[in-house]
Amino acid sequence: MTFWHYIVAAAYMAFLIWGCLKSLGQVESLSDFTTGGHRMGLLLGVGTSVATWVSVASVMGVPGQLYSNGIAAIIGWVAGWFMATAVMPLLAWKVRRPELPARTFPEFIRMRFEPFDRISKLQLIVAVLMFIGYFIFCHLQVVGFGIVFNTITGIRYEYAIFAFLIVLLLTSIGGFWSVAATDMLNAAMILIGVMLGAGTILYATGGIGPIMEAVATTTAPTNVGGPPLEPGVLLSPAGTFGWSVLMGIFMANAIGASVAPHWINRFMAPKNSKAAVLQMMWTLILLIPIFACLIVIGLGAKALFPSLPEGKTTDYIMPLIMQDYAPPFVAAVTLIALLAAAVSTANSMLLNCATSIYYDLYRSLYPDREFDDTRATRQLRFSVIGLGVLSVISAIKPPMLLAMGFTYVYGAFGAAFMWPVWFGLFWKRMNREGAYAGIAIGATAFIVAKVMGADNPFLIGATLSLVATLVTVRLTAPPPKEAYEAYFDAEVSASTLAVARRIRRDSDHAHGPAAHAATPIHPIAKEANT
Amino acid sequence: MGIALLFWGASIVFCIVLSLYLCSKIEASGVRRWGASGSLLGYKEKTK
Repeated sequence: MTFWHYIVAAAYMAFLIWGCLKSLGQVESLSDFTTGGHRMGLLLGVGTSVATWVSVASVMGVPGQLYSNGIAAIIGWVAGWFMATAVMPLLAWKVRRPELPARTFPEFIRMRFEPFDRISKLQLIVAVLMFIGYFIFCHLQVVGFGIVFNTITGIRYEYAIFAFLIVLLLTSIGGFWSVAATDMLNAAMILIGVMLGAGTILYATGGIGPIMEAVATTTAPTNVGGPPLEPGVLLSPAGTFGWSVLMGIFMANAIGASVAPHWINRFMAPKNSKAAVLQMMWTLILLIPIFACLIVIGLGAKALFPSLPEGKTTDYIMPLIMQDYAPPFVAAVTLIALLAAAVSTANSMLLNCATSIYYDLYRSLYPDREFDDTRATRQLRFSVIGLGVLSVISAIKPPMLLAMGFTYVYGAFGAAFMWPVWFGLFWKRMNREGAYAGIAIGATAFIVAKVMGADNPFLIGATLSLVATLVTVRLTAPPPKEAYEAYFDAEVSASTLAVARRIRRDSDHAHGPAAHAATPIHPIAKEANT
Repeated sequence: MGIALLFWGASIVFCIVLSLYLCSKIEASGVRRWGASGSLLGYKEKTK
């Protein structure tokens, strides 16, 4: 650690504390804590989306992939992830349409598929899946960050993860507003860090020309002692993969990532439907310079460091270059940018984890209990602290099983939720039974395919989920209008508004047109009563 | 390199075109609650 590391880290911490204190004053209701009260403006929305999008895995992983696979990584990973982001405006447009939108992803599933159930089993199932998945994600961000920090600075892994805990809690204790406010700074840090990193590499190599020349002719293996590369393979579009494998990677990245529950949550936060659409468009535009810099870093690293030492993974290529070629101040900023990337992803995961266990599980299991907003927000805040501490404690001696679970959970999320979300938003006929079938078959097929060693378990899971959803929907009754109306029409019936209000347990919107409407009874229940 | 950049560029162009199309649909709907504001890229009602 140099003098500059301490200075940059202290400045970063001061900004985080300021952002956290400022955002605490914004939280007045449960909606404020979970989704920013559905009133987030474009600037804050774009900042938080960019910061959440760029994780430590992408900042370190993309240069690593380019270093070992060449420009094929641009098609497989960069273009794949961008395509996933490119379709997000379509989802955001629909998710933020209702006058009374859901506050969480499981609540969205309940509103769309089980609006009349007193206790929605589907909401509970999705909440349990999200809790498990996001706890694992959060744990892995902590472990990943600890390893990176220990390798780069020499600070003990245990100290690094507890320092991470402080930063994590600072950014998430105020709920969605503090995540969003501190993510603005994190997004700026990430952008500055990668730009300085790319600048360092361009200066050290002499510019783009020498980098491309070196990449076109190199035969140096990725690791010392490995098999040499074919000349020019790093500039071949399909690289070492071949087109069919590369297209499989592109499709998996492009399709699976768009329906991740934390993104659906993000679409509920903006002020209105148009702000949600624009948020994702500007997010993608701002990601362009970040990824252009990461591409320069990855290819430039091959020109500077033709082969890595034996046993070193390509993930460390960026910190290695910064240590050897960047001035101390630039190296310090780049390191803090890595911290910003890890924190901005982990805080969002932590918030999702806490809301799923408190809001969607605990609160939903007691439909008759009174939850006033102040008390609920306080308890939710304690859940965030408790889960943050647990994720760090679990990272002291990380069990291998959790690390293996990462790929399972992410793919299973995509396979399980893809059709219920897409059909739920764009097909009025999509119903509850179809959602159960899609989620159960998608998740199960993905896990079975993964265990059996299939090449593309996501594709298998998503395809079987599609078939199961379509067949089940066709064989069962259409949904009541209260389930889909809010996502399709500008003017909705009083009963639809009343259902949304009952599910959200709103007391603060009682002045609306539906305030006088009685809580509706499901048509089937009505029939039974008469 | 050109083919790789073409894939990347296509996803960017697709996103921008899709977003602008959705914004124009919201404008055409005239629903203020959805963000219709009188300008394609505006989402807040103009205050007089």
